[in-house]
Amino acid sequence: MSVSVCLRCSGLRGAVWSALRLRPPAPGSPCAAAGLRLFSAPAPGETRPSIEESTAEYKFVERLIPPSKVRHGAGKVSTGWVPPSPSPPDLPYMIRRSRMHNIPVYTDVTHGNRLITIVRKVEGDIWALEKDVKAFLKDVTGKDLPTQVNEVTMTLKVKGHFDRELKEWLLNKGF
Amino acid sequence: VFRNKIRCVSSFAGESAVPPNLLLPTNLVDPSRHRRPAPPPDTALPILRSCDTSLPAHLSPVRTWVQTLMNPSDEPLGLTELHPDVFAVPPRLDILHQVEIWQKNFKRISHAKTKVRSEVRGGGRKPWRQKGSGRARHGSIRSPLWRGGGVSHGPRGPTSYYYMLPMKVRVMGLKVALSSKLAQDYLHIVDSLDIPTPDPQYLTELIKQKHWGQSVLIVDVGEEFPENILKATEELKTVNIIPAMGLNVHSMLKHESLILTLETVRFLEEKLLWHDIRFSPLYPFKLPYSDI
Repeated sequence: MSVSVCLRCSGLRGAVWSALRLRPPAPGSPCAAAGLRLFSAPAPGETRPSIEESTAEYKFVERLIPPSKVRHGAGKVSTGWVPPSPSPPDLPYMIRRSRMHNIPVYTDVTHGNRLITIVRKVEGDIWALEKDVKAFLKDVTGKDLPTQVNEVTMTLKVKGHFDRELKEWLLNKGF
Repeated sequence: VFRNKIRCVSSFAGESAVPPNLLLPTNLVDPSRHRRPAPPPDTALPILRSCDTSLPAHLSPVRTWVQTLMNPSDEPLGLTELHPDVFAVPPRLDILHQVEIWQKNFKRISHAKTKVRSEVRGGGRKPWRQKGSGRARHGSIRSPLWRGGGVSHGPRGPTSYYYMLPMKVRVMGLKVALSSKLAQDYLHIVDSLDIPTPDPQYLTELIKQKHWGQSVLIVDVGEEFPENILKATEELKTVNIIPAMGLNVHSMLKHESLILTLETVRFLEEKLLWHDIRFSPLYPFKLPYSDI
């Protein structure tokens, strides 16, 4: 308590610091004679254990390091995910799965009211896919929807939000 | 399309009709360089390397010849299978352009700097009084209107043109470049880079005989290269050797032919295909992940 009072006074800070400076007691000093020792110093007769290096506990660190690659899709899952069919369907086009093994159909909204559905990762005859998509959506909605084919990026855009229908349709095809 | 319509091949039987002082345009493709046919499915040659990673079910690997640098004969040693997702990617010229322009510009720091009216020496005092002198009104002799005055909208100080394209775009650029080289028959696979002599003449003759083109880029994996090829390529300006980590789109476009070893092909496939199946980084990929 008296030490804490001294610390608040800046003038006596120097004196307190020198008083608290940790030094092992010299053998002939009054501290050693009184039987005082630093907590960190071992008692006479007591042997402290030496430092031991062990790498056996590293396995607890290793199991926390995340993987970098996406794992293969599991077989049967309760989430409703359907794996692609092992043999590719016999169509002039092919739609690959995304890196998370999902169907690459996405929706986009611009200007608040412009709804677009995008089918990415198409390979092969993209115009045949466009024809099939148009026919399918005509059955679903009854309307001829405008579509845009980009042959460079191999994507297909359809006006409107039809991601659920298109995903189901592509799943049924076996992509 | 040739502007001058100069023919390299002579119409006379035994004579070479090309006069010695003729300057040929540099973009003339060597007419004796014909596309070598793709390996037929029933060759007797062994497949020296097949793809390590599993292929998608609807794609089949691309097959090419494997040659050797040791003897200058034209016979291939065998075949190799190349992954279609690295060597048979659709030719995205826009991505190739993006990556090439990025490589050119991201290192650029332009040091052009001009002095503004405040930086030009002098010009603190009003040259003459505002009214009555008959001359136009001016506030300083270093305004941009004056001769010797500062530049009003000139380049200001070192400007950096640094920007980074997304990692996947850069990877795609490499894949497109490799696929284009293979499709145009400018990619050659070699079993190893051992050559009998460190003589650069041997290499130039080999390249000429095999019709590999004007300039050749040799790529190998590993920190050490055979001494002979290092000495041979040291003197030559158009034949360059780089490690696989240094492969880039600009070098591939600059050199006409690209020579890869089988080890390099394995390395490139491993590294480039990883980007198709990786997660997005939680922390930079330089730090350890469990499977890197």
